[in-house]
Amino acid sequence: MNLLNGFGMDTITMAGSLEAKLSAMKDAGFSQVMLMARDLVTHPGGVPAAVTAVKASGLRPTGFQVLRDFEGLSGHLHGYKVDIAKSMLEMCAATGSKVLLACSSTSRHATDDLDHIARDLKKLAMMALPLGIKVAYEGLSWGRTVNEFITSWDVVCRADCPNLGIGLDSFHIFAANTPLDAIEDLDPDKIFLVQLSDFMWHETPSFEDRMTTARTFRVFPGEGVHSEVLADLVLRLDRIGYRGDYSFEVFNDDYQQLPLATVAERARKSATWLHDNVLHRSAPMPAWALTLNK
Amino acid sequence: MTLLSTHRDLQRESVPEMPNRLGLDGIEFIEYATSRPQALGQVLENMGFRPVARHRSREVTLYRQGGMNLVVNASPDDARVSATIDGQPVISAVAFRVRDALQAHTRCMELGAWNVSSQAQAMELHIPAIHGPGASRFYFVDRWQEFSIYDIDFKPIPTVDPHPEATGGMSYFGVVQYIGAGRSADWLAYFEHMFDFSFVPDEQRFGILPKGKLMKSPCGNFLWQLIEPDPCMDADESPECLQRIGLGAVDVGAAVVALKARGVEFVESTKLHPEDRGALTLTALGSVSFELVHKDN
Repeated sequence: MNLLNGFGMDTITMAGSLEAKLSAMKDAGFSQVMLMARDLVTHPGGVPAAVTAVKASGLRPTGFQVLRDFEGLSGHLHGYKVDIAKSMLEMCAATGSKVLLACSSTSRHATDDLDHIARDLKKLAMMALPLGIKVAYEGLSWGRTVNEFITSWDVVCRADCPNLGIGLDSFHIFAANTPLDAIEDLDPDKIFLVQLSDFMWHETPSFEDRMTTARTFRVFPGEGVHSEVLADLVLRLDRIGYRGDYSFEVFNDDYQQLPLATVAERARKSATWLHDNVLHRSAPMPAWALTLNK
Repeated sequence: MTLLSTHRDLQRESVPEMPNRLGLDGIEFIEYATSRPQALGQVLENMGFRPVARHRSREVTLYRQGGMNLVVNASPDDARVSATIDGQPVISAVAFRVRDALQAHTRCMELGAWNVSSQAQAMELHIPAIHGPGASRFYFVDRWQEFSIYDIDFKPIPTVDPHPEATGGMSYFGVVQYIGAGRSADWLAYFEHMFDFSFVPDEQRFGILPKGKLMKSPCGNFLWQLIEPDPCMDADESPECLQRIGLGAVDVGAAVVALKARGVEFVESTKLHPEDRGALTLTALGSVSFELVHKDN
């Protein structure tokens, strides 16, 4: 067993080729990777070569991101997004990813009717179902209608579909100042993904502040100013019974110009901090002890 | 009893309505894909099916017994045929009888199904279809009352009885689908949402293989069984598929005798053997087996 089991990195955090990213993660001790569609389509060998690289790495895909602005549209816009979603799902399936991340819509063309949103997400989940993919619906903190996990959870409950759940992202929770008490209302089996990151300032009052910070200046858990609340979030998730993956979704312009091994090492330290200091998970038993117990 | 009082009674007892929004009305045909059509044909003939017609433009043969149509697709141009492994036939499609095929297809697409593009040649029927589990398909057929779809795409095989009787009075009873670990809830939701199938409680079981989750079609004409890998076995990562066909017979014992006389072999072990409730044929060609299930009429 690996101390970093249960934790992984997002490819968006690092610069370089897909192979170089996968290798850096593996060298740092990670066993899973959150993939993005761009990893595949920008690969010089095309999507098949990218899929081969992922499989050859031995890293388990945590999930595949990201489908944007899918829900709440109608007419030709809806039809267009259904086509986009199907292409994303095909790539997701090709990599062996079991989770597709779908972010709440920012489109002003989308309805704010939560039942309509739920209906569209159920359709997305049905599209994903034969492929063995779960859909994690995440509330972006600048989402037009759904911008907190309380609302994304409401929509997921309305849709009532086993392979549709929520994705949580600590950044959006802190940026929107969502009270963590609401975690208690979640069904841990319907949290399909938790992405963790922190940032360096306390307030992000406007949507513009949130977007700029989210896209350029996130840091790893334990590196920012919300360590305490991030630890609180992880502990609450642990307490309600969440045993799924944590992936570090760290968009950071600085990390984009650092050696990959340096960035991966920061991620490893962050995972170790969460494992040892926050979750206080016990060290794995040595093999000889497991044998003795049998 | 008037209609009104019936309606009131239903309200009083909260009898749930059984929606059937596609107007589903049984199975029109089941399709196998295989690169070994003659070997599969022999297996089917042992089971009582008879070749009755051949497709006009593709290497496809229609087999029939009683009310059961079974299509063997050996068309080398079809990816589902070339994808079969080691010559093992696979159940590649189930065609549902519906009230209006176009409406059924449109509704399923609106609910999130994946379309199958038509390969119909000139003057052939375009049968709308969606993708099912694995590489399988679900077809929607609405022309089964006024005339036969097979009259258009198929040429009858001369001198052959086009309507052979069913051995042991067998008819389609259901389909068994193998699914991935932990996928029962997903597929139950899929069939309920797409086709208005309803869940059959675990206490109600038919035949001799009671594992998994069972659903009933809204028309009540057939069942659908979902089976996850055995958790006691090593990790089974085999792809999801339509695994076998269930055949209903009022007198399973008589059907077994008739089939044995044709050379069909059955699984005979202490735990699993032919009995009044059902029987399972030995797997032929590495993948083809049939389950006989007792039905009341």
